[in-house]
Amino acid sequence: MTIPPPTAQTPLHRRPAVPGQPGEARSPGPESAVRLRGLTKTFGGQTVVDALDLEIGRGEFFSLLGPSGCGKTTTLRMIAGFSDPTAGTIEVGGEDVTSVPPHRRDVNTVFQSYALFDHLDVRRNVGFGLRRKGIDRGEADRRVAEALELVQLADRARDRPAQLSGGQRQRVALARAIVNRPQLLLLDEPLAALDLKLRRAMQLELKAIQREVGITFLFVTHDQDEAMSMSDRIAIMHDGLIEQCGTPEDVYENPTSVFAAGFIGTSNLMPGTYRAGRVHVCDGLAVPVSGEGLVDGESVSVAVRPEKIWLSELTDAMVRVPGRVAASSYHGATTQYLVDVAPGVTLTVLEQNLPRMRPEDRWTKGAQVELGWLPEHGVVLR
Amino acid sequence: MDSPHLTATLEREARPVRRPVRRTRLWDLLLALPAAWIVVFFVSSMVIVVLLSFGRTQQDGQPVFGHRLTNYDALWDEVYLRLFLRSLTYAVATTLVCALIAYPVAYVIALYGGRFKNLLVAAIVVPFFASYLIRMYAWSAMLGDDGVVNSVIRKAHLGGGVSFLNTPYAVVGGLVYGYVVYMILPVYAALERMDRSLVEAGKDLYHSPLRTFWSVTLPATRAGLFGGMLLVFLPALGDFVSAQLLGGPDTYMIGNLIQQQFLEGQNWPLGSAMTVAMMIGLTVLMVGYLRATTTRRREA
Amino acid sequence: MAGVERRPRLASVVTVLFFAWLYAPIVAVVVFSFNSIRSLSTFGGVSTRWYASFFHDDSLIRSLLASIAIATVSAVGALVLGTMLALGLERISSRTGRAVGAVTLLPLVTPEIVTGVAALLFFHGLGLKLSLLTVTLAEITFSIAYVTVIVRGRLAAMSPEVEEAARDLGCTPWQAVRLVTLPTLVPALVGAGLLVFALVFDDFVLAFFTTGVDPQPLPVRIYSSIRFGVSPAINAVGTVVLAFSALLIVLALVAPRLLRRGGAGGLDLITGGERS
Repeated sequence: MTIPPPTAQTPLHRRPAVPGQPGEARSPGPESAVRLRGLTKTFGGQTVVDALDLEIGRGEFFSLLGPSGCGKTTTLRMIAGFSDPTAGTIEVGGEDVTSVPPHRRDVNTVFQSYALFDHLDVRRNVGFGLRRKGIDRGEADRRVAEALELVQLADRARDRPAQLSGGQRQRVALARAIVNRPQLLLLDEPLAALDLKLRRAMQLELKAIQREVGITFLFVTHDQDEAMSMSDRIAIMHDGLIEQCGTPEDVYENPTSVFAAGFIGTSNLMPGTYRAGRVHVCDGLAVPVSGEGLVDGESVSVAVRPEKIWLSELTDAMVRVPGRVAASSYHGATTQYLVDVAPGVTLTVLEQNLPRMRPEDRWTKGAQVELGWLPEHGVVLR
Repeated sequence: MDSPHLTATLEREARPVRRPVRRTRLWDLLLALPAAWIVVFFVSSMVIVVLLSFGRTQQDGQPVFGHRLTNYDALWDEVYLRLFLRSLTYAVATTLVCALIAYPVAYVIALYGGRFKNLLVAAIVVPFFASYLIRMYAWSAMLGDDGVVNSVIRKAHLGGGVSFLNTPYAVVGGLVYGYVVYMILPVYAALERMDRSLVEAGKDLYHSPLRTFWSVTLPATRAGLFGGMLLVFLPALGDFVSAQLLGGPDTYMIGNLIQQQFLEGQNWPLGSAMTVAMMIGLTVLMVGYLRATTTRRREA
Repeated sequence: MAGVERRPRLASVVTVLFFAWLYAPIVAVVVFSFNSIRSLSTFGGVSTRWYASFFHDDSLIRSLLASIAIATVSAVGALVLGTMLALGLERISSRTGRAVGAVTLLPLVTPEIVTGVAALLFFHGLGLKLSLLTVTLAEITFSIAYVTVIVRGRLAAMSPEVEEAARDLGCTPWQAVRLVTLPTLVPALVGAGLLVFALVFDDFVLAFFTTGVDPQPLPVRIYSSIRFGVSPAINAVGTVVLAFSALLIVLALVAPRLLRRGGAGGLDLITGGERS
């Protein structure tokens, strides 16, 4: 499986959410599993999905990540065929399926509520799609058994969905979809109903299954950890637009918008005015940045991840700011500090609790400290 | 005016817009047959009642349509008016008695029924849905002059027996017996749905259980109670079996009057006018009642 | 909390009295149906003579069979039409749809005597001779709304994703209804069918207005006998009818629960079902 190379990283240059130039937010693979062009959905005058362009490569694990109401589920429903686009086209495996009804699309869905058929046992639930396709009995039985083996439910084949636990029902829903070997598998927040521990386990399992079957996964979630831990690529959606699209590392390290920086992980955002190589946040705080593409007087924000800020062992290459610890909280592996660096500007700093550190090495409230971060970790957002 | 922005917008609109969705007509078809059935057998039959209420009976006894108000004029007779008032009184009395019985019963079952809750509700539901007629008969057999109750009274030398039947109490009692379940079920459902923590909070606030009930429980279940009152009032007003079996001519209600016009007196146009009058009266009462109860709920 | 709290005394007394009042006349009917003498107040000894006379009365038996036939046909007819209506209404959101929905519920809030009178006039206007057919047509019309309410309750509790899943797995919209929605509704349908059967079997008012002379539905027959005075023979018929209807209602209440296997609910039919 190939992870498409991350697209050019120019943090200062925000990519257009509606790419005028194709290829910006796309994988360059010769064959794509799905391609959306200008996909738009309006409900009663409100645009929920706004001229979306997206291309997902074969075998990719792709996540649509965004808060509720961002249009991610609507996008998924249009690809599945349950909702008709107001404008734009949908291609699956190179074929235009925009006006093909759901039952004739080579796409399957794992629903948030699992949507299992209560009147059928597990085996018949999983075999439902194959039977509809008219696949012969022996072949179908073999594939059902295989799929149940894959999700580790071979021993529950004759049970009714009502007799299964939440996690098991989730696996049945997954088996029911992948047994059809669709070109594209859509997953609509499939783990949302599970408790945290089970969710973590299922994330790993889902990723392993995806690798094993090689089906393209389009995963919709509002949970950034989930998207980060499983995806080859992530598209962050906001207000019907794709804010940013790239590998988990790319979107984390190089957010291209204030929204993206805030939605994935936590970020210290310092709004200010750019002038002569520095962003002036307030009196007494001017953060040096790489000024590429910026003009004097422009309003921008500097974003720094809490774990990129150092409190000791600072080097000359770093951007250095004095501050006073306003609060500290101990989280086991890490300690989180809130540091006032200027009136009204407080930065969050996350420090690893290394083995050599003793309790007295941690900063206490009121301590005067010096913060530092490498210039490339201060991302300028417009 | 041809800024690049505008051009871009125009271009986007010029994208091939998908043709209108092929809405499947399946659901409309599903709806068509039963809707047609109800229109033919229910709505149109109602229209016939209205039309005939303006008609008359021919010499040969055949009812014919017309456009006269004679039948409605006839309703202003004092005998009829008194009977209408009596029906209304009985129905209102039935509704109130039902509320007084149903609330405590539903309350005890919903809050203290424990694991017997479903069983107790079933014990109420089963006889109520099994033969209204037989249950009315059962009362008339029990309360009759030769019935069990009177025989007990006589044996206990409490007197020569009491005439229960042919009294308004017997008729209203029969109506309550017939329809109280329609009050118990919605009140029970409302009590079940009610947030119990509200009651706990109310106890802290008001200290007295009675005041808690009055200020918390009752308002929280008001919708169920109001719904139940409607469900009891409607059939009670149109009932004729209770008055027929437990009462007599002195306790007859609108239902008996209508029934007589159709199956005994054979004056269908007059019967139709009575039916229409009753429906108009009911509709006015319902609209007023619904308006009153919903505005009060909104204030709460 | 029941342990901590004192049960309201007055309400408990009312409840106990209510149950006594509810069952006393029924028990009396049943007890005196086994009376060996022709009295409704003194018990002369156990006998089944009144049952024997019931089962030897051809015209009563014809009425019983007629009632069963009417109830069966009405249950099936109302089930088909009511389910179609429920499925259609659940998917239509337009103003017309809502109007249709409101009209279909009218029979539920119309006093039965009005429905009966209207049906009588309607059949008369059509020139249709009053018979078991007219009774059945009227009963179906009256029962559709019951089925619709029950089925819509169950449909509302069903996730719309289930039908979408069926379409996702290769079903046309109609196949999705046939292969997934209807089988899921089976428990509710069985319950609704039994309930309608019991209601129609016992229904007196509509039958009274729409029946012909012979055979008459059993409740109409019983009514005419009652008007001639109470008698132990009626107690016997009444006991049979009560027992039969009670059995049907119990089945209607229990069947959905048994059929759903593992699913919750118990009095879903009456209390509207759980909405998950």
